[in-house]
Amino acid sequence: MTEPLKYKTEFAEEIYALENGPYIKKCMQCGMCDVSCATRNEMDFSPRELFMLLRTGKREDFFKANTMWMCSTCLMCKVRCPRGIPLVDVMHDLKSHAIRLGYTDPPQASFYQAFWQEILGRGRVFEGGLMARYYLKRGWSEIRKGFEMRDLGMKMVMHSRIPIKPPKAIRGLKGMRAIIERAQELTQKEGR
Amino acid sequence: MSKKIGVYICSGCGIGDALDMNALAKVATKEYKVPVCKNDAFLCGRDGVEIIKKDIGDEGVNCVVVAGCSGRVNYDVFDFGPSVVVERVNLRERVAWTQEPGDEDTQAMAEDYLRMTLAKFKNLELPEPFIGEDLSKKILVVGGGLTGMTSALEAAKAGYEVLLVEKEDTLGGWLRKSYKIIPLKAPYTEPEDPGLAGRVKEIESNPRIKVYTGATIEKTSGAPGMFDVVIRQAGGTVSERVGAVVLATGAVPYDPARLEHLGYGSSPNVITQAQMEELSSRGQITRPSDGKAVQKVVFVQCAGSRDRDHLPYCSAACCVESIKQALYVKAKNPEASVYVFYKDIRSSGQYEHLYKKAQTEGVIFVKADITGVTDDGGNLTVEAQDLLMGSPTMADEVDLVVLANGMVPTTAIEDPALAEAARAEAEAAPAKEGQEAPPATEASMVIRSNILNLEYRQGPELPSLKYGFPDSHFICFPYETRRTGIYAAGSVRRPMDMAQAVEDAAGAALKAIQCVEMTARGMAVHPRSGDLSYPDFQMSRCTQCKRCTEECPFGAINEDAKANPLPNPTRCRRCGTCMGACPERIISFKNYSVPMIGNMLKAIEVPEEDEEKPRILIFACENDAIPALDMAGINRLKYSKWVRVIPVRCLGSLNLIWVNDAMSRGIDGVLLMGCKHGDDYQCHFMKGSELAGVRLSKVSETLDRLGLESERVTMTEVSIMDYDKIPKIIGDFAEKLDKLGPNPMKGF
Repeated sequence: MTEPLKYKTEFAEEIYALENGPYIKKCMQCGMCDVSCATRNEMDFSPRELFMLLRTGKREDFFKANTMWMCSTCLMCKVRCPRGIPLVDVMHDLKSHAIRLGYTDPPQASFYQAFWQEILGRGRVFEGGLMARYYLKRGWSEIRKGFEMRDLGMKMVMHSRIPIKPPKAIRGLKGMRAIIERAQELTQKEGR
Repeated sequence: MSKKIGVYICSGCGIGDALDMNALAKVATKEYKVPVCKNDAFLCGRDGVEIIKKDIGDEGVNCVVVAGCSGRVNYDVFDFGPSVVVERVNLRERVAWTQEPGDEDTQAMAEDYLRMTLAKFKNLELPEPFIGEDLSKKILVVGGGLTGMTSALEAAKAGYEVLLVEKEDTLGGWLRKSYKIIPLKAPYTEPEDPGLAGRVKEIESNPRIKVYTGATIEKTSGAPGMFDVVIRQAGGTVSERVGAVVLATGAVPYDPARLEHLGYGSSPNVITQAQMEELSSRGQITRPSDGKAVQKVVFVQCAGSRDRDHLPYCSAACCVESIKQALYVKAKNPEASVYVFYKDIRSSGQYEHLYKKAQTEGVIFVKADITGVTDDGGNLTVEAQDLLMGSPTMADEVDLVVLANGMVPTTAIEDPALAEAARAEAEAAPAKEGQEAPPATEASMVIRSNILNLEYRQGPELPSLKYGFPDSHFICFPYETRRTGIYAAGSVRRPMDMAQAVEDAAGAALKAIQCVEMTARGMAVHPRSGDLSYPDFQMSRCTQCKRCTEECPFGAINEDAKANPLPNPTRCRRCGTCMGACPERIISFKNYSVPMIGNMLKAIEVPEEDEEKPRILIFACENDAIPALDMAGINRLKYSKWVRVIPVRCLGSLNLIWVNDAMSRGIDGVLLMGCKHGDDYQCHFMKGSELAGVRLSKVSETLDRLGLESERVTMTEVSIMDYDKIPKIIGDFAEKLDKLGPNPMKGF
């Protein structure tokens, strides 16, 4: 027999402190998000189940769930939620919180990080650079997989789908970085 | 009344194209010798109505027959005042729009309908209203809780004298026993103070309201407009005459002693919602066992409600009440952990806001089935099966468990002393007279709850609809009990929260006002509001069979000292169930009687057998089946040309002699169209269609005596939405009759 669940509030309070965290309290477990979700079948826990997991204080299960990473931000759940929970924004908060805490196992986490490093580097995304960063983050097995797809990569290069040369950095890169830094600062401050 | 009939045939709306107007007029003038008969192409137009008005004025026509559209439309246009009888022949929806135009059978149908209407006049009189003696317009409100007080105030504000009777020494009911009540105004997020003092002051300062506290009702006799109520107060009694009664005795919590499985009784820290109110009003919430300040509270919802072994229904108020209590626990001590274990949160109406508020305040809601509550020296452990996580769950070191123990209407609670007395009486009665015990009547279904103590033959209290709630139909006729003039409001009517009770109180007060006003004019209240007719008993021929007194769905007929039926016309709803019940056929209305319908069906021309034109008679209930037939016409649905429809007030008024007459006249089949009966009935008179079914089961005997197949008489349920099924229902019946062959009685 499984150990009886106990509802505790400590972990939930941590998540409720995120920018859109307080909305999660209003979840009434109706399941409208589940039936609206395009990627529900790929998720370990549906958004509804994830919120219940939160209330039971199962921290590890919560952060290891791929729910937030599978979210395709289609917004259907946010539009339909009868309690007005902005689920997409909540998922976004959960993703950045997970990265902050080092729960970066899902490949999507590496992709997000690679993407942002590209943006911060030149203000534009260079596909080649993005791929390189992603594979390096994921390690050997992923690099091998990438190598197996080299034919496809070459074809895309020949059809100018992937540029060979990295683009130039945008003008005012410094200013853009300052904007991002300031935004992150604000989120840190106001979200808590 | 000397009758002068005028027949006005309209040829508009396609009637003129489908029928031969002159032949129709000949039926009236030649066969029935009607003195005035006119055709018009637009009778409901200004000129058409003028023609009729002119004849009423110049020719002295006092019986107007309008042959055209259904009586369900243009009734205001063809209203010529109370001294003129207006009968409508439905040639449009029932003939022109459902039959082949120009066909000889269509013409025969129209002529038959005209004949049937003209045949009515032989036994038709203008109804004279029954005005009771010494009528009162006072309203008695029984119960001085939130509903009763609101009802009294609403009726008084509308200008009516009110008597408010409360059994306890002070007004207030549950308001008095509550620490806080659920919010009654926007934004519906903060529990409110009960505000009892203000309400009581408003009542006491209102000169139209007379309050009896510490009082009970010893006896209620009479009928709407003239109820005589004996109120017992402080040893003495007071007699009052009132016009209508609002029953607002409310509900009581379900007996928690039966909730042992939820730990009640095994620990003092397991309490009910009512005990929680009491505990909270003392200040800090402490454990009953040792007075320790409460840190962890579990609310258990549906404690008894929605449970087959306890209360099968949802008590409607407990979710909101528990949320309210959870909120004030949090308000008193924000550090307290509060859990609500629920089946489904049913915070109806505006209370979704309250639910949301509790969630944001940190109350934890767990959808779970409780498996056990155990006590360990004051600390409780609640174990349950979590339905959302699919695993066992628990809350330990709980200081207080609050059971949301639901509500039971006061009408469902038997008064032990009265019940014992009734049983003793029932046992003694047959032995004394040496007769067989009387058949179980409706009275046995009435619980002796010692609230109104009605002097009605059918029992001292109100018949229940379900689970002891005395409503008669939760959706169609709220407030209407099965006793005319007595209106249930608040949680005695159905489980409800305080906001709904306030609304209910106003609704029932309005019904009571409607009742006293209509009764003063001699009119029926509901559902045939405005009907002036009432049943008339030709008492010299009564055999005292008591069927009318037992079968009246509203207990309108009492028994006098000589065991004769004693009608109470103001209790009557004019359904005619008594008329259908009477084997001697001595009960008639001025404009609706056994001979009148008999004449109608005798006016139908039945062709000889060799013509191969069968006749099907339909008795259709005016409430649902007739509208459905009209709707079939409006949608131009074609059905059998052999049918002839006779509208009846309710299938309950169907007297078996009509079936007998129809069969002996050679009519091939009789179809009864009535409302759905049974548990979720739709009959406007509650028992009418059910009684028709019972009577019909006995008709087969009659048919056998005549040497006929009993399938020739069939009953079917038709709701207003079934209009599209009408052609099939009629078609199937016609087919069945076809197989049986023609009625052998034809031509006798």
